Amino acid sequence: MADLNIKKGHNIRISGVPLNEVQKGTKPKTVAIQPIDFRTLRPKVVVKEGDSVKIGSPLLHCKMHTNVFWPSPGAGTVSSIQFGPRRAIEKIIIELSETEESECNDSYPSSEIPTLGKEQILSSLLKGNMIPFIRQRPFNRVINPSDTPRDIFISGWNTAPLSVNLDVALRRRLPQFQAGINILKQLTSGAVHLSINENTVSDTLLEINGAEIHTINGPHPAGNVGIQIHHIAPLKLNDLVWTVNAQDVARIGSFFLTGRYDPTLFVTVGGPGVKVPTHIKTRAGVQLESILSDNLNKGKQRIISGDVLTGKTADNNGYLGFYDSTVSVIPEGGEREFMGMIRPGSSSTRYSLTHSFIGFGKKLFSFNTLQNGSERYMIPINAWEDVLPMDILPNALYRAILVEDIEEMEQLGILECEEEDFALCSFACPSKIDVGETIRHGLELMEKDG
Amino acid sequence: MIKFLRKILDTNAHRFENNGVLKKLYPLYEATDTILFSTDEVTKSGPHIRDSIDIKRVMILVVIALIPLYIFGAMNVGVQNGIAMGVERTNWEQFWFGFDKIIPIILVAFITGAFWEILFAVVRKHPISEGFLVTCALIPLVMPASIPLWQVSVATTFGIVIGKEIFGGVGMNIFNPALVARAFLFFTYPGRISGDKVWVLGADGYSGATALAVPAAEVSQQAVPLLNGISQFDYSWWNLFIGWIPGSIGETSKLLIIIGAIFLAITKIANWRIMVGSIIGLSVTAYLTNLMAPFSSNTMLSLPAHYHLVMGGFLFGMAFMATEPVTGCHTNQGRWVFGILFGVLTVIVRSINPAYPEGTMLAILLLNAFAPLIDWFVIQSNIKRRMIRYAQ
Repeated sequence: MADLNIKKGHNIRISGVPLNEVQKGTKPKTVAIQPIDFRTLRPKVVVKEGDSVKIGSPLLHCKMHTNVFWPSPGAGTVSSIQFGPRRAIEKIIIELSETEESECNDSYPSSEIPTLGKEQILSSLLKGNMIPFIRQRPFNRVINPSDTPRDIFISGWNTAPLSVNLDVALRRRLPQFQAGINILKQLTSGAVHLSINENTVSDTLLEINGAEIHTINGPHPAGNVGIQIHHIAPLKLNDLVWTVNAQDVARIGSFFLTGRYDPTLFVTVGGPGVKVPTHIKTRAGVQLESILSDNLNKGKQRIISGDVLTGKTADNNGYLGFYDSTVSVIPEGGEREFMGMIRPGSSSTRYSLTHSFIGFGKKLFSFNTLQNGSERYMIPINAWEDVLPMDILPNALYRAILVEDIEEMEQLGILECEEEDFALCSFACPSKIDVGETIRHGLELMEKDG
Repeated sequence: MIKFLRKILDTNAHRFENNGVLKKLYPLYEATDTILFSTDEVTKSGPHIRDSIDIKRVMILVVIALIPLYIFGAMNVGVQNGIAMGVERTNWEQFWFGFDKIIPIILVAFITGAFWEILFAVVRKHPISEGFLVTCALIPLVMPASIPLWQVSVATTFGIVIGKEIFGGVGMNIFNPALVARAFLFFTYPGRISGDKVWVLGADGYSGATALAVPAAEVSQQAVPLLNGISQFDYSWWNLFIGWIPGSIGETSKLLIIIGAIFLAITKIANWRIMVGSIIGLSVTAYLTNLMAPFSSNTMLSLPAHYHLVMGGFLFGMAFMATEPVTGCHTNQGRWVFGILFGVLTVIVRSINPAYPEGTMLAILLLNAFAPLIDWFVIQSNIKRRMIRYAQ
């Protein structure tokens, strides 16, 4: 039970904040799974184009752990397997049939779930292809089911810009969520940590049993699970913790209660590029067109699967990422301002954490994809430190990664870091350095090094 | 007009790009283009949105903070000349007199600086860095108005090339380039940047000791009465603060420097920790020297802290040079240490060794050299804290 107030960070006042009401999305024609969403996955596809699949059927497995399969997010026929550069598998697209069938697994009454035991749970998860919903830290990759994590962390509170309000997404899903927590609890030698915010109202989160509940307040990235781990029970050398997205906890619970993979997913559609920003009840791996349909503003827009800080660029025909529950749309490019470097600027055209523009508005700001400057060498004016609520020296760590000094990276705590926690640093950086990418590079070096 | 400019830039872009005739000069084109119009580069991956601040803005804000010092400096050159020559002028005439004297210094500094920056950008194929704007804006401000123009040019060359470019440009340099430039002149041509004869534009051989030189030259006296006893200039505390005194062009008006420092601290470009730390360091050390004063014949030891603060280049160095983010410490704890040591060293150089009455420049350069070491200790303490946690 921790009660944490995180000071550093920043809630970006981006316009197009999703309303707290839920619209029902139209049924998409296709859904897809994108192996590039998974770090270090060397995929081996087990279906062919034209095969028919059910919801939850295995689509691919990892060459490293041959018993871990990835589930199909829909039922129908595999319409195409798309390859990217160097024959990397980009997408496996499934054309949905009218009526969809699910793979059937064993189901358990909720009273039996807390006593299933680790072996039984793992074999069910493996059989039902549910393992990929659980990720591990460090390295933020899909777990190896033979590991035993020190703890399991769930963030019940999103702070990323335009992200899903979990109060809305988890409404009336207490039984599933509770079942999910009971399942996860048996997989760890430690505790299941669930963090909420002082403004959390959802019964699903407040009435949960069996998890350690932590109240965390503060600006983004306080809602990131990596920041929460750092403050609640920091990773030590050789520690391993697992993380699950809150909506996926309910999904795992529902899988045990019904024996079926429930692809339901609440997503937000938001940002300055959409007409009506809102929550939509849709499904995993959805084709973005079906949830954006006529909701886009005129002009060239960038559609992002994920939040504006960490998401991936997709197009209208693209698909929602495996772990994403946010679709952000922002205008592509912008005006070139004459003598922009010496204009005082106003809060309607300039947004900065440095107070170097006149205008201290509290208004929401309509961001576009302009980088607002060119990349330069690092000028350390504390832009990174002010938005990173961790006991990490980002500047020193960044330099250690640049020179690829594995030992120093480890000493400076890179194993506690994750790309997404540094996204705000890149946002605020005056030299336009992508800090998160460098952290990613550092973690990859560590992974290779073992 | 703006559209016309944009059109010229757009229609000529191809000449500088990949296969154009002038592709070697691309950095020059790019700099002109992005100085006139904010860049249209878009983000390639996450974060898809970015803060409006960029290095151009950072650098130009420092230059903006320096502009009042230029105006006051020009005025003061006129005022000091009026005192030396015994002539009465209106304010405008004083301003124009000084303006006429400092504009050539500014032009020489900027032209020399731009030349080297562009040359290095073209040869080493990196974009022109905006940092040279600040360096070139600082150099004239730390020179006396009587400085020969060729010395400004040589000093700027040394500052930019040796102080910065050989390390790889802005962001890689170890020493503050503007101070390297000044130190270069100070040790190679001391006759035109130190002593009593250079600070006021007067008749040949006119001598006017700066406020710091007054107590440094006397033995076994009290500094404050000594300063108040000077009739040639008004060396009262208040006038030292306002700045109608002889000195380098930009360092005299402490009021405007403080305004500039607050501006930079609010915009988060200069770090307030260094500024506050240095004032603490200076005050404490000055107090200690005051305690030592009765046991020594050194008059400088009796100078109280609030006089140290408004004399010489301390505040100027604190606001615009010690806070330079690249050459200072990069950690917050390090910045405190850096600031405090800067204050301490300034007083030590000034008082204990009166041969160099101006300690600011040497204190900052020395600390620039030690900044990585200070940071190293901070980093080690961070590592140690983590290792203790790992061991639990």
